[in-house]
Amino acid sequence: MNCRQAYRFICDNLDEKITSARCRGIRKHIACCPRCQAYLDSVKKTVRLYRTAPGPKLSRMVHRDLMKALNVEMVQPLKPTSKSACRNSR
Amino acid sequence: MRSYADQTDQQLIGAAQKGDRQAFTALVNRYEQTVYRFSFKMCRDPEKAKENLQDTFINVYRKLGSFDGKSKFSTWLYTIVTNNCLMKQRRRKIQELEDPLEMYDDPPEQDGRLKRAPVARWEETPADLLLTKELRSALNRAISKLPVDYRVVFILRDVEGKSTDETAKILKLSVEAAKSRLRRARAFLRDQLHPYLVMHEKATK
Repeated sequence: MNCRQAYRFICDNLDEKITSARCRGIRKHIACCPRCQAYLDSVKKTVRLYRTAPGPKLSRMVHRDLMKALNVEMVQPLKPTSKSACRNSR
Repeated sequence: MRSYADQTDQQLIGAAQKGDRQAFTALVNRYEQTVYRFSFKMCRDPEKAKENLQDTFINVYRKLGSFDGKSKFSTWLYTIVTNNCLMKQRRRKIQELEDPLEMYDDPPEQDGRLKRAPVARWEETPADLLLTKELRSALNRAISKLPVDYRVVFILRDVEGKSTDETAKILKLSVEAAKSRLRRARAFLRDQLHPYLVMHEKATK
């Protein structure tokens, strides 16, 4: 077991529980390797930063413009596509 | 009769497919925030996110007749919004990096030891740090540099919290291909943020 294998494991299986013998070996390596620990920690923090960064809220104006665009579209009645039309005619 | 807000997606879809416009509007109300946020995370621009939101629901309306309920509505919706985003991004040719991120498959190494990995630990990132302008800019810059085919996998899997299987299904990729892109995307973003967070740690000491 070396850092190269640990690197792949870190990136492939972050936050996923893997219990195979190979993965147990990799986890054992990480537990004993400060470089891999630091790397795993930084990858986890990268994911967490993006996951928790606040996203924009949809404003009333954006909602209103969406409904306007859809009202124009919905003048046309919704029709089944040819695929579902075939299925319905069976 | 139950109000539209209390009905399941399947009930609303069934009613909308029979021509009930209010049922369709209820579906829009239920998912517009999700679609808008996802679009914004993909294109990093409020105007483009708004345009993508409208195009997505127009496409959903046009294609709703063919939705057969075999997959979850949210998976189907993500497929449509993702296709819209990818088509627009490719058309605008805003991919800053032309080369795929193959270099992130393996760490540059010497004698089995990581060269790229830092010995220095990253600082803890409390919630209020997220609000700093510098960090928001760093996050934006990093993800904007990530090629769109990688960005979409990272956002679906790590930001939206979809499983790897569902991410692969939405993008019509094999699970292995989705994992490979995810690995490269995470490594790329981590490397982009590394100097900023280490510098920040030094600055605050």
